[in-house]
Amino acid sequence: MRATWIIFRREVSAYFSSPLAYLIAFAFLLMTGIIFNNDLARSITVKSVDPSLIPDFLSLLMVLFAPLFTMRLLSEESREGTLELLLTAPVPDYSIVFGKFLSAWFYYSFLLGLTLFYQIILVNIGYPDFVHTTASYLGIWLYGGATLAVGLMFSALTENQIIAAFLSTITLFILWIGDLAGDIVASIDLARVIRNLTLQGHYSTSFAVGIIRLGDVVYYSGMIVIMLFLTIQFVESRRW
Amino acid sequence: MIEVTNLKKQYGSHMAVDGVSFEAKQGEILGLLGPNGAGKTTTMRVLTGFMPPTSGTASVAGFDVMNDSMEVRRRVGYLPEKVPVYPDMTLFNYVAFVAKLHNVKNHKQKVEAVLDRFDLLDRRDKLVRSLSKGLKQRLGLAQALVHDPPVIVLDEPTIGIDPKQVIEVRDIVKSLRNDHTVLFSSHILTEVEQVCDRVVIINKGKVVAQGTASDLSKQFMPQRQLYIELDGGNQEAYQRLLRSLDMIEKIEPQGRGFILHIPSDDALQKPITRVIANSDFTLIEMRQLDVSLEDVFLDIINKGEQ
Repeated sequence: MRATWIIFRREVSAYFSSPLAYLIAFAFLLMTGIIFNNDLARSITVKSVDPSLIPDFLSLLMVLFAPLFTMRLLSEESREGTLELLLTAPVPDYSIVFGKFLSAWFYYSFLLGLTLFYQIILVNIGYPDFVHTTASYLGIWLYGGATLAVGLMFSALTENQIIAAFLSTITLFILWIGDLAGDIVASIDLARVIRNLTLQGHYSTSFAVGIIRLGDVVYYSGMIVIMLFLTIQFVESRRW
Repeated sequence: MIEVTNLKKQYGSHMAVDGVSFEAKQGEILGLLGPNGAGKTTTMRVLTGFMPPTSGTASVAGFDVMNDSMEVRRRVGYLPEKVPVYPDMTLFNYVAFVAKLHNVKNHKQKVEAVLDRFDLLDRRDKLVRSLSKGLKQRLGLAQALVHDPPVIVLDEPTIGIDPKQVIEVRDIVKSLRNDHTVLFSSHILTEVEQVCDRVVIINKGKVVAQGTASDLSKQFMPQRQLYIELDGGNQEAYQRLLRSLDMIEKIEPQGRGFILHIPSDDALQKPITRVIANSDFTLIEMRQLDVSLEDVFLDIINKGEQ
């Protein structure tokens, strides 16, 4: 735990000492800001505000952004030779992986936290559905954690950050779009299984509509656990 | 402090280290010498707990690298060949990070002390990326020493830095003697000769020789070499004269004189001078050539390859 905390602190300060982090935060707010304004404008006449607007948008955005947040984490260490420093320090391998994962999740949580500004605006001008919003934020927080764990796993796999980002983007995109495959299979049972394997399948019909289901929480947490387990294995394989 | 017994490490079908055994005593600087790809780095990686051996044992301060990896890692300071630095950290934060990983008490003072020792304290808030290669090397050493480990493993610490910095690094390594046991790898002979108490020469994963530098010269260079320069005749005449001494194994022309290869046990200088004195020639110069470890090394490596 001590080592996890040390690694976590180093990684968090690495995120926030890089100008890229602020650029990403800027882009993040700009994009979500446009979406929010658009929704707000339409809510005056056409419809009511969408309580899960920002999380819904992030469910797509994280497919593209999670690889960028995580590609550096282990591949850079391995390329720069600093992994040798970590692996010869008296700390267990898993604590390195946990520290890195938690730092990425922390950074994502920070970005997610920034979007809560929109909720403050909504409270001041109307009566938003808080339960719905809270569920969708919880959902997208877990969802984001799962996508980051996938990104971290690919970062452990290769020394090349671009390859790590590319592989995780593809994987996440397939996991995201996978439920479309359900549309073309004749068997409803098979379609249901496919949908249950996808990222969207555990978000769009539950968290996104304000429902917290244990199964969905287990799906995202399970994905995090499995990905971190694989990451630890890949890091250990550097020792062979 | 360091004990390696019949260590083997295999990568796929390639035997990187093939039955290496050596030991280093407390307070000793042991040089690991060999050409590139001889298995030096692999041996060091096993000793630092980075990777397990395929077979054989290695222990540091009495702890086995396989069974007590954490205990070994606590007691080893390691500077890999590529200095493991984070370019975006300040010097202080970087060394403090390593100190924290090693659970160093009062790490702030320790980090300042070690930066001071390596003359880096005035740059403590500079980013690592701004350092020159030589300074990075010093920072690498600072990082390896911050937790005051009994054993220090340095993988080619003088590679790729300028001559002045090479001397600095060598002096630093020498200053570690007595307080620490140092394992120092290099493919530069003169360096190992200067810095190390004992040398282990490895080639193609095997130990080909070990001992002190002078031991190795004696053991592997049974010949001595004399440089001799004469006056009063021509080269052919000199050669004819020298050939009359059958103890001389080989005569090599060199500049204006010759190099004579003679067995090291015989006191041959006297008969040679006598023969010359009795001839019509004058002896201008006669001196013994130093056999460097370099010659020993090349000789051993070449023999191994034949």
